[in-house]
Amino acid sequence: MTITKSQLSLSRETRKKMVPYLLIAPVVIYYSMFWLFPVINAVSESFKNVDGVWTFSNYIHIFKDPVFYTALSNTAFLVIFSVTIEFLLAFGLALLINKKFKGSSIFLFLAMIPMALPAVAVGAMWSSGLATRGWLNSFLMTFGFIDDASKFLFLAGGKMSTLWLIIIIDAWTVIPFVMIILLAGLQGIGEDVREAGAIFGGTKFQILRKITIPMLKPTITTAMILRIISAIQIWLIIVMLFGFNRLPVLLEQVVLNYDQLGAEYFERIGLALSVLVAIIVSAAAILYLKVSGSFEKEEKENG
Amino acid sequence: MATLELVDLAKRFSKKVWGVKKMDLEVNEKEFIVLLGPSGCGKTTTMRMIAGLEEVTRGTILLDGNDITDIPSRNRGISMVFQNYAIWPHMSVYENIAFSLKLKKMPAAEIKQRVQETADMVKIGELLKRLPGQLSGGQQQRVALARALAVRPRLFLMDEPLSNLDAKLRVIMRTELKAIHQKTEATSIFVTHDQSEAMSMADRIVIMKDGVIVQIGTPDDVYFRSANMFVAGFIGTPPSNFFTVKCIYNNDKIALEHSQFTLDLDPKGFEELKEYNGKEIVIGARPEDLLVVPDSEAVFTEEILVVEPQGSHQVVALNLSETIVKMIVSAEAKVKPGDNIGLNFNRKRLHFFNKETEDRIHLKNEVE
Repeated sequence: MTITKSQLSLSRETRKKMVPYLLIAPVVIYYSMFWLFPVINAVSESFKNVDGVWTFSNYIHIFKDPVFYTALSNTAFLVIFSVTIEFLLAFGLALLINKKFKGSSIFLFLAMIPMALPAVAVGAMWSSGLATRGWLNSFLMTFGFIDDASKFLFLAGGKMSTLWLIIIIDAWTVIPFVMIILLAGLQGIGEDVREAGAIFGGTKFQILRKITIPMLKPTITTAMILRIISAIQIWLIIVMLFGFNRLPVLLEQVVLNYDQLGAEYFERIGLALSVLVAIIVSAAAILYLKVSGSFEKEEKENG
Repeated sequence: MATLELVDLAKRFSKKVWGVKKMDLEVNEKEFIVLLGPSGCGKTTTMRMIAGLEEVTRGTILLDGNDITDIPSRNRGISMVFQNYAIWPHMSVYENIAFSLKLKKMPAAEIKQRVQETADMVKIGELLKRLPGQLSGGQQQRVALARALAVRPRLFLMDEPLSNLDAKLRVIMRTELKAIHQKTEATSIFVTHDQSEAMSMADRIVIMKDGVIVQIGTPDDVYFRSANMFVAGFIGTPPSNFFTVKCIYNNDKIALEHSQFTLDLDPKGFEELKEYNGKEIVIGARPEDLLVVPDSEAVFTEEILVVEPQGSHQVVALNLSETIVKMIVSAEAKVKPGDNIGLNFNRKRLHFFNKETEDRIHLKNEVE
């Protein structure tokens, strides 16, 4: 009698333990079918040549191609400058809106509009705007800032000016996103810890540096990781403004090789490139976490 | 140690909403002042203006005679304990306490000594390396206290510092705070809505309502000489009982006629009631100034509704014409619900209020 009872309760316990696994099972199955399997397939295909023979030739091709290095350095430039600029501006805006001045909620709404636009729409909007006869030049002419002879040739600039153009457009698109994350973080920090900073001798800047930013650090890390990852993957806007190969970046090269050149040889190059991009993205994210984490350690030791 | 003076201080939040309508107050050196009042009375707003956390709409704040109204918080020479502690979670206890000293560029050795000294005073000397997240609520409050004391402020502000602690700890901290004040002699302003906290800690209590001061006085002043019905009802647990009566004044007798009883007074000592002859006034009686007496001496008799034992005494509640009357009797008294008891008033200790203005009718021979 007692034995059956304990058996019963054991099985009940086991059943209870199984519940979470049962609940995540559909996700695991879905994930392995539609994500894990294609990924493994892509990785293995990237190591095969057109005849299905295992080889490193796809990767060797990439590493011998000077365009890859241009794409790599362009991407690095874009990531470093656009993420830095986006963070600084978004943080400034978040601090401003957090002050809750009159009309701050309307400002917040306006600031969020770019976030609601899909990348294609952003590309279309800016490519029509930046064309020599686009709306930006028309706008400037209407208000008399420039005349017909001095229209800006936005899209015809050299490499640096095209890079900066992309950085500006990217910043315009994602600053609201970064700002929202930082604002949510700021609102999680009580007003009183900053007031205490003011009472106990801190200037506005000291409060920001010693109280607000350290307390906001988890949020900043999240925002930065998300931004770094998606900045490495920028391509659509570039293609829409400049077409392929004008301003090579990593993902644009993946799309170009895999999708545009129309030969299986290049498809495999594209696969190999995408594997490299995945590795670079992970490495960048881990690097950022390491760097910010070690800063934290250093601060503790100094304190 | 300093004097503080508030002159015609006011704060308007929006067109029609005034946080503080008018505030005039002088705080003496070493004094412990408690701002007391129900929520929304403006006590916290007043403190925040003194701290420089809230802009002043009108008026002046003088610290040691110097106008500090427009000086930033950090230069006012004040410190503050916040209701939610507001200690910095990313800094150790040591760093929290040392924050202001470091900003003042005090030498490191001196900071170390000052932090240890202050931490020992509030009994957290062992916890300096901990992070606030590893501390209990009471310990966090002590960190906030140490941080505020370490500055050696001219003026020490406390905004409901005990309200987040459990009842037992609150009473312990009350005593400790008072002892610390006696030791440091820092001029202190303490905000609370808890009247017993105010009574037990204050040198003087400032009672506020709807953005204005209702009464300023020692705990005895506000208890025994409440300025109006609001104060009489707000101070003391249980609060004062109020009886609306008609005053019939003859030269040899005053009769105060209530719907349920008539209270006779000897006119001697109550001459001021003469001008209310034929009018209605309000009697305020503290729960301990209602006395259980034999029926022959009773002003009225009534059935006991509820008995609330408190250990040291008992609170007896009666239902007198749909009004709950509460009184205090000794712990030994044999009382139970349903008993009929005879009641009389401790006449010398009664308060009288003008029924229209609700203000106190002052008598010449008031209890000192």
